[in-house]
Formats: sequence, C-alpha cells, structure tokens
Amino acid sequence: MEPVIECRHLTHCYGRRKIYEDLSFDVPRGRILGLLGKNGTGKTTTINILSGYLEPRSGECLIFGENIRTLTPQTRRRIALLIEGHVQYQFMTIEQIERFYAAFYPAWNRDAYYGLMEKLQVAPGQRISRMSCGQRSQVALGLILAQNADLLVLDDFSMGLDPGYRRLFVEYLREFAKAEGKTVFLTSHIIQDMERLIDDCIIMDYGRILVQMPVGDLLRTFRRYSFRCPDDARLPSGEGFYHPAVVRGRGELCSFASPEEVRFRLEEAGIPCEGFTAETLNLEDAFIGLTGKY
Amino acid sequence: MWKALLYKEWIKTRWYLLLALSVTLGFAGYALLKLHRAVALTGAGHIWEVMVTRNAVFIDQMQYVPLLAGLALAAVQYLPEVHRKCLKLTLHLPVPALATLGVMLAFGVAVLAVLFGLGIVLLAAGARPLLAPELVGNILHAALPWYLAGVAGYLLGAWTILEPTWKRRILCLLMSVLLLRLFFLAPVSRAYGGFLAVLALLSLCAASLSWLSVVRFMAGRQD
Repeated sequence: MEPVIECRHLTHCYGRRKIYEDLSFDVPRGRILGLLGKNGTGKTTTINILSGYLEPRSGECLIFGENIRTLTPQTRRRIALLIEGHVQYQFMTIEQIERFYAAFYPAWNRDAYYGLMEKLQVAPGQRISRMSCGQRSQVALGLILAQNADLLVLDDFSMGLDPGYRRLFVEYLREFAKAEGKTVFLTSHIIQDMERLIDDCIIMDYGRILVQMPVGDLLRTFRRYSFRCPDDARLPSGEGFYHPAVVRGRGELCSFASPEEVRFRLEEAGIPCEGFTAETLNLEDAFIGLTGKY
Repeated sequence: MWKALLYKEWIKTRWYLLLALSVTLGFAGYALLKLHRAVALTGAGHIWEVMVTRNAVFIDQMQYVPLLAGLALAAVQYLPEVHRKCLKLTLHLPVPALATLGVMLAFGVAVLAVLFGLGIVLLAAGARPLLAPELVGNILHAALPWYLAGVAGYLLGAWTILEPTWKRRILCLLMSVLLLRLFFLAPVSRAYGGFLAVLALLSLCAASLSWLSVVRFMAGRQD
C-alpha cells in the first residue's frame, strides 16, 4: 500500500541527549497507526518533526511525497494537526474559531463541528479561554474532524477528555477514518483507547522502534509466559525474550516465540518449567511486556 | 483566506485598539489643551517667540506614547501566538508562512498608521488656529520620530516576542532598546533632518527580523 508518511533515517538529539538514531517508518494510506512509548522516548519529537516544527539532526520525512520542511500550502491543507495539549486560539469563541478555519478548507464540514459542540452544553458565543480543559479539547477535536483532511496527525488526543467523550470520539474517529479512507497517525497515553482505534502500532523504546506491526498480529503472537522456578535462577535474556524476571519463585517473560520454543529454550538453560503457562495479552499488557515496568 | 487572517488579528486587537485610540488621541488632546491654556495666559506672541527662540514644541508629554502604543500592540497581537505555541496553528494554515507573517505585520503597521495619522491630524487641526503654519510644521516634525518609534517598537516587539528562546529574546530586547534610542536623540523640531528618512527605512526593515524568529521557531529552536 502506498505510504502517506515516510520517515527515513531520522536522528535527533536535544543537546547531548540522543532521542533516537536512524529511525525509519512508513504509514500506509487508509490505516490508523498509533505511536506508543513511555515518556521521553520521542513520541512528541516525532510528531513535531512530522508537523514541520522541528528540524531533525539528520534524515527526512515525506508526507504525500513532499518533504515536510518544504510542504506546499495545498499539501498542508490535506493534513489536520492536533497539537499536544489540544492547543487552540483561546481568544476566540466557538463560532469565531469555526468561521476562521472554514475559510481555509474547501471541504470544511460545519455539521461535524457543531454536531460535537452540541454535546458540550456551552453557548456558541463562549470564549474558549473560559472553558474547562476537557471542553477545550473537544473544541480542538471538533475542528480537526471538520477540516475533513486526508491525513490526521493527533498528538495525545485523549488528554483531558472524560471517559464518555473519549469513547465517543474514538468510535466517531474510527468510523470516519474507515468510511472516508483517511490516514491517521496518533499518540495517546491511554492505551485502552488505542486498542479500540488503531490498525497498526509502533512501539518505541529509548532510542529505537521495538515493533511496528498490525495490532491484531501483535495481540495474537505476543505472549506472557510464567512458570515456577527457583528465586536464584538465571533466566535466558535477549533474542526475543523481553524483561525476564523471577519474583517469589515464579518466573515471567514475554516473547513473540511459540510456547514450544520458549519451553525448549528455558529447559535448555536448565530452568525447570513446572506450571508453565502462556497467555495472550491486551495492548496495554503487551506494551508493558515489551517496554518493561521502568 | 486573507480576510480570515485579518479577522483573527482583529479579534485579538479590537479592544486594545479602542483603548490605544483613546489614549493616543487623549494625550494629543491634552498637549493641545495645555498649548491653548498657555496662549490664553501669556498671549500668542509670547508662545510664538518661545517656539522660535527656544525650539519649544509644547507636546513633550506625549513623547513616549506612540512607542508604548506600538509595543503594547505587539504584545496584544503576538503573545497569544506564542502562548502554548499557538504559532504552530497559524503556521500550519494552508498559506505560505512568510505571507501569513506578512499579513499579521501589515495589519499591525496599518492600524498604527491610522492611529498615528489621526493623532497627527488632531495635532495639526488643534494647533492651526493658534500658530503660524511654520510653527505647526515644527510641532509635527518634532512628533514624527516619536510616531516612527511607535512603528519600529511594534516591529521590534514582534521580533522579540516571536523569538522561541529566552537567551536570544534577551539579546533581541537589548538590540531593540539600542535601536529605539535613535528615535529619541533630540526632542526638538527638525533635529533629524534627512536622517528621518533613514529612520523610516530602518523601521520598515525591522519587519524582516520577525521572519528570522519564525524560521527559528519552525526549526524547533528551544532553550
């Protein structure tokens, strides 16, 4: 499938602190891709590079085939950008901000915006600065949807939203993206939302991408294994075993390898595998299994 | 699209513009009132003599008003843009970034031109019944560098506020203070002569500095 976003060999540092090196990934057309990672792994850095507000030390990003540093206004019109913290012009009212943005986007969907605003119980003349944090987030999301862009880049879209609105937005966004063939690239700290929404995920660790794959494949193939073993046992690490640990006589590790292979490798390392169990995980547990609990 | 950009600037500044209009015209009116009072107390002949022999212009109290009006306009227009990096939203609009900045600056310079133009008209109209045209010209010549300082202050203020790092912002501030000092070297009539044209050119050139700040913002420069 033709990629909408192509990032090639990205390297970026803040001072001497390297965020990542030689990072490459694609986002195919019509897919919803979630970027997951712990704090400080470079999610917002990636979004900033993608939106053209950060020049990487090296490497390049293309959106719709154009370098993001030199995007034409026509291409920028096809990209909806949600900035971290749902930033919007706080000096405008609900009506003024809609009137302002509508002038720039020929495919502007006024009904989508006002449809979401009706759920807010605020007056159209209310200034955004006088709204609650959650309400401001909803205004920002309403504007993003009304833009009717081909690519949506959403940084931490669920921040400040109550559970009901989060669910509503996730369902609305997924239905909208699938029905209209939109491409979505997003980050969020609430992984349960991501599980309902995204097709593919990129899981980042400090300085690198751990996995990039369809969420369905990840949830089907990534397992947590546990077994009884002595507290002083040295579990094999590396080569597809993530965060092996022994706690109170119970060994635990995560892996993409099959149960047979894991069992074989443990026995080869002299680990008795009594009570050996394998369980598939939800996205949050898979994320923790891959990145560790700090 | 251009109308929408102007609409945004109007929403940000409309209440301030009302205030700036009242204050600018208020100070000009106050200066004229003092002039009228002085004429009433001492006679027009004495005032004319003082103006010719001592280079007095009788409007010194409004010397820094245009500068403050320009600086405050820069704050009102650009602080909401840098607050929580709203400038990202503005620069993401499907308009070339340079054109977007150009519209914002042009809006500011245009409203200052109207504001200061009205001030100049008020001064001229108010002084004309009391003074000879040459003396009215003296007053306006003395006030011109101050009004130019207002425009330069606005443009230098925009440059400083849009700059993304504090270290560089302080440098911008220091350079702006030094440049603005040039507009207040001699508060007397016709002190600048032909240099006034250079000052006007300098003021307009200051507009290009804001683009440097925007380029640095887009490159992600931070403290």
